[in-house]
Amino acid sequence: MPDPGFATLWFLAARTMAIAGSDVHVLQEATGGLYAQAILGLSEEECREAKSPSSIDNRTLIDCLAGVRALPREDAEKLLTGIMMVCYADRAMTPLEVRWASMVASAIELSGDDFQRCCVNARVIAGMLRPKGDGEDGA
Amino acid sequence: MSDDRGNFSFLEQYDERVAHLAQQAEHYVHSDPDSCMFKLRLMVETMARTLATLQLPHLVSSDLGSMLGGLQRSGVLPRRQADGMHAIRRDGNAAVHGSPTPVPTAMRRLHDAHRLSAWFAKMVKRGAKIQPGDFVPPDPPAPLNAVAQAINAKVDELEQSIEERRHLTREALLMFGPSENVDDVVRRTREELDALDKVAAAAGEPEIDADFVALVMAMDLEQLEEHADHGGESRRARRAAEHRLDAIKEHLDRREQEFLVERTWLMEQRGEV
Repeated sequence: MPDPGFATLWFLAARTMAIAGSDVHVLQEATGGLYAQAILGLSEEECREAKSPSSIDNRTLIDCLAGVRALPREDAEKLLTGIMMVCYADRAMTPLEVRWASMVASAIELSGDDFQRCCVNARVIAGMLRPKGDGEDGA
Repeated sequence: MSDDRGNFSFLEQYDERVAHLAQQAEHYVHSDPDSCMFKLRLMVETMARTLATLQLPHLVSSDLGSMLGGLQRSGVLPRRQADGMHAIRRDGNAAVHGSPTPVPTAMRRLHDAHRLSAWFAKMVKRGAKIQPGDFVPPDPPAPLNAVAQAINAKVDELEQSIEERRHLTREALLMFGPSENVDDVVRRTREELDALDKVAAAAGEPEIDADFVALVMAMDLEQLEEHADHGGESRRARRAAEHRLDAIKEHLDRREQEFLVERTWLMEQRGEV
């Protein structure tokens, strides 16, 4: 099996964070794909392909961490920022979310300051994405 | 199979109001497609309100978009049905705001409504054997001439391409692919996370430890809670953050204790203590 691409790593890491949270409604939202296209610069086609069975089936969290470790630093930081945004989306935290964030940050070998910088960016984006809490797209 | 009273007569025994709206929509589909869309949108809103009353009463007074979102997130409304309802909501809103509805669009939504009706009937009457029959497109009052037929075919083709485009965009945006079994992935991932949590408690993280992460996250969440849009009050936000941090620390301590107990037991087995 070839190494997972950046898009597959993103979806693996992001949905693991969503699953780690107690409020799994994030799983059904478009946040993951919006971030992938707007911030990570992935195309729609890449996002779809990343979740195809041949790309994502049988990938473990260890595969994901190994892949993240091998990413260029800038991409890895953007990925971490994105998963923290997913984590902050419901404005709560669980022990498994903390653990997953710690593992991804450690895989990237971030310093404490860099981790905090990513988290601040994530918080700003999370605040923009769901400013009113539970609101939908109108009538 | 539809009878001479149309495609929705089967629905009368499950919800008269919804059935009536659907029958009105069916009546207008050729003569006044905008009115057809008004009725279909109202039908979907009535269905959503009924489901919310049964399952999520706090959503009943919300707008249709919020009700559908809430029903979907809570698992009451499956993805396919949600797509159909949102499509009717969207085209209904467009008609309300003065965008004319072509007949093929109204017919497509009427077909969606027929599919949704069968699902809705099952939801309100659990265990009932629903027999909606196949959808039979209502005939136009007078046969269409060749020009009208050609225009309708083009509109239908355009509508189909838009739906396919929308479908592809949605697939790209969501966390899971269409062929994935979400429940299976969630279960497997939780198991892996639990296992990694135990391993990390024993091994520790080389750079960013969980205590530090928990502290940073708690501070960020406090700031999010304080944000004016969330209406948070500083002291309450701080209390909530401290409470969350305490819960995480308790979990990390428990994991540490479990690890120590296990290590002691192993050493006892080897006769080292």
